Amino acid sequence: MSTAALDPGMLMAATTPQASAGFGGVDSDAEIMLRAKAGDQSAFDYLVQKYRRPIVSFMYRMARNAAAAEDLAQEVFLRVYRSRESYEASAKFTTWLYRIATNLAVNHARDTRHERPEVTVSLDEPDEESGTTLELPDGTLSAEQMIVRRERMMAIRRKVDALPEQQRLAVIMHKYQEMDYKEIAEVLKKSESATKSLLFRAYETLREQLKEFI
Amino acid sequence: MKCDEIRERMPDVAAGFSKPTIDEGMHLESCGTCAQELKALRATMAVLDEWQTPEPTPYFDTRLQARLREEMAKPRARWFQWFRQPVLAAAFTVLLGIGVGVFYTRDSGMIHHGQEASIAAPPGTAVGDLQALDKNHDMYSDFDLLDDLELQQNVAANP
Repeated sequence: MSTAALDPGMLMAATTPQASAGFGGVDSDAEIMLRAKAGDQSAFDYLVQKYRRPIVSFMYRMARNAAAAEDLAQEVFLRVYRSRESYEASAKFTTWLYRIATNLAVNHARDTRHERPEVTVSLDEPDEESGTTLELPDGTLSAEQMIVRRERMMAIRRKVDALPEQQRLAVIMHKYQEMDYKEIAEVLKKSESATKSLLFRAYETLREQLKEFI
Repeated sequence: MKCDEIRERMPDVAAGFSKPTIDEGMHLESCGTCAQELKALRATMAVLDEWQTPEPTPYFDTRLQARLREEMAKPRARWFQWFRQPVLAAAFTVLLGIGVGVFYTRDSGMIHHGQEASIAAPPGTAVGDLQALDKNHDMYSDFDLLDDLELQQNVAANP
């Protein structure tokens, strides 16, 4: 049994150009996952390091609070690890990854749909929903301006949250994960034309709902 | 180009993931409605850009490593892994119990019949008489019923 994944230095090294050179170039993520399936621990570490930020970000936007988002993102990678032996490179690796993430996020949203946290704005503590703190890194914004900015961000979030589940997923995958229509369609198990239509309706709704912020 | 065709592509164009093709550009120049829609959608995308997410916390990596370590320490799934599920285990136990019960019931019946056949004693001996009595056990157990029937017939004949 390899313990490579347990070494934090190894995880960080996976992002360096030297360490990832072997996985870059012609190797696709699906091929790297096949190497992880064959027992190559460094291949798995590389995938974790590459997708950790996008998956945490996806979960932040899908879950109700920051702590839950990180838990869910960890669960995604654990499920990838558990099911590595049954992985088949029949589709893009990211399609498989986001399907796992989507299932987890949707189940979590259904389980916690009655647990909406109270929206509070504090100068000192990290925001429950976004995980951000009101730091003033460059001194260009006052505390009041920061509060206004955060309130605006949370209002935008609520508008996206108010979309029907499938539309919300499609928008998050398209706008923030920068996935193309074909891949979103595969994750949502819909046709490409149905996905285009879903996205168009979602953006039409958001255009109306976000008018006040333009 | 029709308006519907370009509208399908508008989210990608408005988000900046791709540029309008020559045909799409010509259509946008000639169709005020589509041009206006694209402008509004670009503004919507700009508002959506404001929703930022923070970097994963250092705790995320530490916790993920710990969970992976736990996962690696777990024994690999065996064929009897399913037995760990309580409902399946209970169902299996019940089925096993029924199976054992049926087996022994059938088995004891066979031995009984086999013994009867194998140790049949010659008539006239004590064992032979006992076996004959045993065979007629059902009839003897109905003797009380026959007595009652006879008594009823006597009562009917001599009221």
